[in-house]
Amino acid sequence: MASLLKNALKAIREKGIVNALRTLREEGYTKCLLDGNILQTKIHNIGGTLVGVDKFGNKYYQRYEGIPHGRHRWVEYGDKGRYNASQIPAEWHGWLHHITDHTGDELLMLKPKRYGIDHKQNYSGEGEELIYHSKGHALNPGQRDWTRYQSWQPTKK
Amino acid sequence: MGLGLLALRASRSLALNRLPRAFAYQNPSNNAIIRGIVSTPELQNPEAAAAVQQPEPAPELPPRKPVAGARVHFTNPDDAIEVFVDGYPVKVPKGMTVLQACEIAGVDIPRFCYHSRLSVAGNCRMCLVEVEKSPKPVASCAMPALPGMKIKTDTPIAKKAREGVMEFLLMNHPLDCPICDQGGECDLQDQSMAFGSDRGRFTEMKRSVVDKNLGPLVKTVMTRCIQCTRCVRFATEVAGVQDLGILGRGSGEEIGTYVEKLMTSELSGNVIDICPVGALTSKPFAFKARNWELKGTESIDVTDAVGSNIRIDSRGPEVLRITPRLNEDINEEWISDKTRFFYDGLKRQRLNDPMIRGPDGRFKAVTWRDALAVVAEVLHQVKAEEIVGVAGKLSDAESMMALKDLLNKMGSNNIWCEGNGSDPQADLRSGFLLNSSIAGLEKADVFLLVGTQPRVEAAMVNARIRKTVRATQAKVGYIGPPTDINYDHQHLGTGTQTLLEIAEGRHPFCSALLHAKNPAIIVGAGLFEHKDKDAMFSAVETIAKLGKVVRPDWNGLNVLLLNAAQSAALDLGLVPESGNSVESAKFLYLMGADDVDLDKVASDAFVVYQGHHGDRSVYRANVILPASAFSEKEGTYENTEGCSQETLPAVPIVGDARDDWKIIRALSEVAGIRLPYDTLGAVRTRIRTVAPNLLHLDEREPSAISSVAVKPQFSQKVSIAPFGAAVENFYMTDSITRASKIMAQCTAQLLK
Amino acid sequence: MFAPAARLASKRLLEIRQLFRQSPQARSFSTALNYHIDSPDNNPDAPWEFSDVNKEKAKEILSHYPSNYKQSAVIPLLDLAQQQHGGWLPVSAMNAVAKVIEVAPIRVYEVATFYSMFNRTKVGKYHLLVCGTTPCMIRGSREIEEALLNYLGVKRNEVTKDGMFSVGEMECMGCCVNAPMITVADYTKGSEGYTYNYYEDVTPKRVVEIVEMLRRGEKPPVGTQNPQRIRCGPEGGNTTLLSEPKPPPCRDLDAC
Repeated sequence: MASLLKNALKAIREKGIVNALRTLREEGYTKCLLDGNILQTKIHNIGGTLVGVDKFGNKYYQRYEGIPHGRHRWVEYGDKGRYNASQIPAEWHGWLHHITDHTGDELLMLKPKRYGIDHKQNYSGEGEELIYHSKGHALNPGQRDWTRYQSWQPTKK
Repeated sequence: MGLGLLALRASRSLALNRLPRAFAYQNPSNNAIIRGIVSTPELQNPEAAAAVQQPEPAPELPPRKPVAGARVHFTNPDDAIEVFVDGYPVKVPKGMTVLQACEIAGVDIPRFCYHSRLSVAGNCRMCLVEVEKSPKPVASCAMPALPGMKIKTDTPIAKKAREGVMEFLLMNHPLDCPICDQGGECDLQDQSMAFGSDRGRFTEMKRSVVDKNLGPLVKTVMTRCIQCTRCVRFATEVAGVQDLGILGRGSGEEIGTYVEKLMTSELSGNVIDICPVGALTSKPFAFKARNWELKGTESIDVTDAVGSNIRIDSRGPEVLRITPRLNEDINEEWISDKTRFFYDGLKRQRLNDPMIRGPDGRFKAVTWRDALAVVAEVLHQVKAEEIVGVAGKLSDAESMMALKDLLNKMGSNNIWCEGNGSDPQADLRSGFLLNSSIAGLEKADVFLLVGTQPRVEAAMVNARIRKTVRATQAKVGYIGPPTDINYDHQHLGTGTQTLLEIAEGRHPFCSALLHAKNPAIIVGAGLFEHKDKDAMFSAVETIAKLGKVVRPDWNGLNVLLLNAAQSAALDLGLVPESGNSVESAKFLYLMGADDVDLDKVASDAFVVYQGHHGDRSVYRANVILPASAFSEKEGTYENTEGCSQETLPAVPIVGDARDDWKIIRALSEVAGIRLPYDTLGAVRTRIRTVAPNLLHLDEREPSAISSVAVKPQFSQKVSIAPFGAAVENFYMTDSITRASKIMAQCTAQLLK
Repeated sequence: MFAPAARLASKRLLEIRQLFRQSPQARSFSTALNYHIDSPDNNPDAPWEFSDVNKEKAKEILSHYPSNYKQSAVIPLLDLAQQQHGGWLPVSAMNAVAKVIEVAPIRVYEVATFYSMFNRTKVGKYHLLVCGTTPCMIRGSREIEEALLNYLGVKRNEVTKDGMFSVGEMECMGCCVNAPMITVADYTKGSEGYTYNYYEDVTPKRVVEIVEMLRRGEKPPVGTQNPQRIRCGPEGGNTTLLSEPKPPPCRDLDAC
């Protein structure tokens, strides 16, 4: 806690109070007061090593000493307002869940350029237009008048 | 403060204890973590666990039901032996395997290579059980049950053995279940869930195998193969095409044909069902649907006269696949490729609107009211004897009944069913049925095939004959054009000449026939159309008399019909009054009849085509009435052995089509000669007065035994022309199969 | 600026690939492909028949088995066919064998693919088989094979340009006491003069000499190539069991 305060003071000294406060807000410290999850993560972060940051701003930490099993690796979500597990891209999922020790940055290099698509989080409940609907779904605006059979055409022959 | 320090120290030491573990995590190369493969702790040490588990047999064991209705049949009561399965005593006949004994005792043993209809291979080792006093677990599928054997199926040793076998099987199996068509109905998937471990120790590269091209029906992904050899044994034993084999050895072992070769069997589709993994899957069904999305409808196949029991799997309005249903008396658990893969014909070339041919010769879609009015008007304009009705190959009994009633009310009796010829014999049921029944053919020891090629006419009957020939070395004599028969046979001759020689006792095959215990003569229905039909049948009956083929305890004089509608039509009395009624017809009502010789129809005749496919006859029709296909209606069909069965609607009717009998009923209303039935039940009540046996579903109605003395005379002056083949193309015999793309592919690739 | 970064990235990529790939080289099997690929000299349409002499031999082989178990003769007949055809079995030869023993061709293919001593691809007139099983491997069979391959300038299971030699690997041939060893299958004279000789205690230098002798048409002495050894005896003569063996103490052999 002491180091945190020291860092904060250092930041204020370097950037000035307004900038420092803005940084604090961006980092989600202001949200801490209202959202216990973020506060808990922030406290957890103390002593953890930052392993990587993905392009969504999610920060991945790990720490092995003095932490019970199952909590060695964790993520601080980039989106401090609406966060959920589907925001973790596939390349970091494996690292986060101890499936592999290769970090997401390493795995990202293996991602095929030609057909690899960007990670998309799950928008369920966030509005129908954001959700994937399969062909033929009532909410898919695509073609809807196909027939499942082909009729005999009398003009032939 | 002191307490706090103590607590801190304690937690520190705890953290230190955890250190090696954490260290291992940080070094992926360090494989210091020792872990057991066995997921259940007591399996870590099965012997110790067995010792702990005191064998205190529960005094009261609740009786258990046999697995999947397994039946015990004691041919000789002295041969019964008693074995104990998990302490539960069960009596089985001598010679049964341990696996079968367990099934009777109600214990389902996991297995991959064992299949009850194939020979025992014993190479997958999944069926290991513990037998008391045996040093190792035994493969139950290959071990005969011995008296007093104490079989244990749920001991730690048995469980560990299965888990170990499962781990070996999964070693080289790709974990591609999400993209595998077998996913959801895969034996390997199910059994690894039930008996396997949750992890494997194999860290090497997996083996991969080149896929084989087995033709347009079977898709192969050979990397998934676990070498159970079921397909090899099926091809060799049941299908009778020795194409598949197991090549190589060790980890390089694979199933294949060695030389590039398609699997040209009419039963090849069954390897899809018997394959316990996704190595052999259906090519037309590939990536179409998941099996849990499908709705199954138990129905009947109508593409031949066997009436194989099938399950139509559909999703929404589409038939997506057809799989066999178990029926020991008809198709066992196999179906022919035509039955399995013709379903895409149900989606093509469908008639969905009533149409009238205008004066310009073009068809125009009209409403039902207009179409029926036009037909009714013409119906009243022509003379009664000029009205002719022909039922098609796929007609059900109800619609044939309605058609006959309608035409009879109009005063015409010129109505018959395709394939029965112009002068069918419908008086004696024994004259057109497979009298010894399909299952009964297994008792025969000599077969005489007269003008029939069962392999293309009725593949399931052929499979039965092949089974008999393999099991008992029954002799087979064949009279007809040269053809490919997949069991040992003698080709006696090509036509009438040979038949007469046998009838007169001059032929060497006669002695085999005379010495046979249960001789079976199978006459092809193709002969119905032969011009010397009567002479031929009297010759056959003479042979039957000679060889004592018809006895009170055995009726071996059989007719093998070609189409699903034939026997019901003869039962209902669809017999034309005159032989050349088509030529003289002015009003021709074709109910799905596509094989009528339309060139013979007079040019001023009015042709009504009622059917579901735009196949052949529609091009001559004046009015088209769209009807439903067999997958869309409830209808009764009688198969060649006289067993009535029922189709059930699996998918909705397409477009504006209606059931056949409903169309005829509506037409009668418009024509002012109302037929007295409004429901399917009422039609069936009407059928009950004509042929009650058609309503006894799933029951074979044998014909009353007739002594063979109907036509003892046969004229010597028959033509010596050879018999023709009744079925030219196995894959395309009726309007649905002719519309099917898959069948067209098969014709192009397999019938070269 | 960009180029070093790209180089770095590609290097990293290679490293990662290396990490994920466990063994960079594919596993090599001692057996050939398990399926047939048509080629001008190996296709089902090529005519193939036993020679007249071998037809007699085949008849003799078949007479060893009951007439209803003709398929038992599949291995000897395949061996005969292989000797006749210069050391390998084209698919038409297997078909011919299937016809003789009256089984479906696939049953013969199954046997021929199972046994690694049936060669289904072309081999040299002298087929050199290096034992690769553990005792020979410990005594240096890898070096022997390397010496052979280097000398002949071929890869394993390849035939030299003049069609004289090919090198293959073999499992244990029971000469572990004289390891390492090679076998030379000599197909120069067809099935009449066919020999299958062991050359034991070979060294990388000695195998090359053997190959040279074979090329010149000489017959290198078979058996151990170590002049200090007599057959499988120890180097420099026997060291144990030098005296007469003593009779068993409990039995008087002269009495009976």
